[in-house]
Amino acid sequence: MSAVPTELASWRHPPWLREFAVEEGHAWIFVLKSLLAFYLAAWLTMVFQLEQPATTMITVAIVMHPQSGTVLAKSFYRALGTCTGSLFGVLLMAAFPQQRELFLLSMSIWVALCAGGAVLYRNFTSYGFVLAGYTAFIVVLPAIDHPTAVFDSAVARVSEVMLGIIVSGLVSDVVLPMRLRDLLRRISREHYQHFIDFARGSLGGAIPRADMEKAHLRFVRAAVQIEDLRSSVIFEDPEVRARSSRMQLLNLRYMAAATSFQSLHHLINRLQRSNHPRTAAALIKLYAPIGEALSPAPTEKPIPRLLATRLEACEAKLPALAAELREDLRQDPNLLLEFDSGTTLVRRFAAELRDFTSLEASLRETQGVAGGSVERVDFKRANDYASPLIAIVRTFFTMATLSIFWIETGWTFGLSALLLATVFSGLLATSPSPLVATANTWVAYAVGLVAAYFVVFELMPGSDGFVMLILVTAPLLALGPYLTTRNATLPGVGAGYSLGFAYILALKNPMVYAPERFLNDSIAALFGLMMSGAAFMIIPTVIGTQWLRRRQLVQLRRQVVFAATAPMDGILYRFESVNRDLYQQIVQFTRPGSEESRVLFAWALAVHDGGRAVIELRQDMLHEGLPPPVRESMQHAVNALADLYDAPDSVRWTAADSAVDQAITLTTQTLPQARASCQPALADLLQLRTALRDDESALAPYIVKTAEIAHAP
Amino acid sequence: MPREIALADALVPGLLLIYLGCLLVLWLIDTIIGRYGLYRYVWHPSLFRVAVFFLLFGAAGLLLYP
Repeated sequence: MSAVPTELASWRHPPWLREFAVEEGHAWIFVLKSLLAFYLAAWLTMVFQLEQPATTMITVAIVMHPQSGTVLAKSFYRALGTCTGSLFGVLLMAAFPQQRELFLLSMSIWVALCAGGAVLYRNFTSYGFVLAGYTAFIVVLPAIDHPTAVFDSAVARVSEVMLGIIVSGLVSDVVLPMRLRDLLRRISREHYQHFIDFARGSLGGAIPRADMEKAHLRFVRAAVQIEDLRSSVIFEDPEVRARSSRMQLLNLRYMAAATSFQSLHHLINRLQRSNHPRTAAALIKLYAPIGEALSPAPTEKPIPRLLATRLEACEAKLPALAAELREDLRQDPNLLLEFDSGTTLVRRFAAELRDFTSLEASLRETQGVAGGSVERVDFKRANDYASPLIAIVRTFFTMATLSIFWIETGWTFGLSALLLATVFSGLLATSPSPLVATANTWVAYAVGLVAAYFVVFELMPGSDGFVMLILVTAPLLALGPYLTTRNATLPGVGAGYSLGFAYILALKNPMVYAPERFLNDSIAALFGLMMSGAAFMIIPTVIGTQWLRRRQLVQLRRQVVFAATAPMDGILYRFESVNRDLYQQIVQFTRPGSEESRVLFAWALAVHDGGRAVIELRQDMLHEGLPPPVRESMQHAVNALADLYDAPDSVRWTAADSAVDQAITLTTQTLPQARASCQPALADLLQLRTALRDDESALAPYIVKTAEIAHAP
Repeated sequence: MPREIALADALVPGLLLIYLGCLLVLWLIDTIIGRYGLYRYVWHPSLFRVAVFFLLFGAAGLLLYP
């Protein structure tokens, strides 16, 4: 009986309708906020008697974004970019007041460098670079024919841009704010829950490879996404800012635990495949207490603090259980070695999981900042210098061509074309499909022009006063922000429309009506936009291409070289974060399920596994009790591994395998004399050997079979 | 306080410097409040922040330029 009314209710208010309503509500709130920011900015510019309210409005059009944290972050970098850009513009004008060739050449180089910076850096730092180029241009633009006025022009432009930034930041922060912080909290809790569930559910140690791939992708996405959000939420919320280093540490522990978990799973899998089911079963038994610790009774609430205490209790039980299981395997020393390396992994994983949950617990329990400081860690990004270089060359040629064209033809409105080319060659350089984006923006820009034409020449002459101005411009202006909220399906359309509209509206006080300027400006702007699109055709972007993906895969492989050679200070976080950033960058453009994605995943696992073990080994090598010859042989093994991952082939594989083997033999021989120092290092070496000889890993094609047979039990 | 101050021979309004100074003070207050988690006693943190800034800037401006 009870089912019928709920069905009726869901029929009357179907979930899709509610979802639609919520989405539309958010969109319209954003539209209202944008309009408020637009008119407040225009009004203030007129009150302060600045020359061009249009510059302020264009700024607002570029800066407004549906979420508040991003506006503040954007504004911060935008303010930096504006100051740098205007300073450079003034300097350039002072240096070459009479030589337009040299001036335009330097300007092209500056804009090109800014576009390169925009590609090199991620998030909102990238924005700052685009704007440094654009402001340098906009500052000198009105003064280009009378250099003496450049200072006044610069002051006026910077004031207008800053006013736009302040107003839009204020409006989006104060009026019905949408908090990124809530999103960050929700997402990080979701990922936490997912990871705990995953660690609990994989008791049997048998996860199909496809599931593992999916899980790995999710772990990677989680780490990168949380870092992205954190870096913009710190601008929004002082509480998050104060807890920022703790959140970074949490992310590190998350990544470290995920890597250990994968290594462990990998080891068990391999043991099962290579006819050591007893060792595998023993390891699964050893893992069982962790699974139990993660599944408290349903009466208790599974808060992180509870899990952390349970994990701590379970950790104490592990050594005894390990010794007991070890007794059963005593007859075969080879199995025993594998089991020992597995034990180290299980204990490492338990310790990391305990650290992770207890930090999560302390983050959830405390308001503000808990006392005590934490280790400072930094999320490193993986940069490739090829795509910024290409962006620099492309932008330079666009700007140089347009400048030459302008000088040779004496075209009065050439500057408008240059300005638009500056803005969009920077903005679109980061896009993986710049041609489609340019086409979208171009069409939207043209529509914005037409709409603004209609408003300026049909409606505005009949209006009077600020209220009338709002009434005549608002309906068509509102389209821009609304389209911006549809950015996922219509990329670039909202921004193009708003920019075109604000640019042609060109509010002035008193208003100037000049149809010929409208025509000339529109043609120039559309021409400039088309030129930046043409540049993308001639020098295509490398982002997302096969070529760049291959390069990045090599870079991913060399992460093991990094792990083997970099200074030990803070190496773990750099290794883990760069790995994830790279994987995330490549996986965006690979088709799921394809051969390429399979190879990528195999390499990612091999690098995680091998690199982590190398780092652990290097850490254990720092132990003072280690006899020098043993340490030397370990160092030799580390170097051989670095060589192998640098450029894998079967000769290097053999060298690495024999180096690791030798180190293992030597360590086992010295084990009775120096147990404390040799035991942990031995486990790492064994793990390295396991990773090397794994016939399902990415290194499989280079494995020389005879070696395997010679050492097989 | 002079109405205009010469910074590297460019005349800058004194109010601008006060504005920047007030931003700095606001940032300090904001950090302290955030550090001790006191924003949970405030209904609308960002409105509160704006109000504090207006108070600071208004007071400083009116006191220094009577």
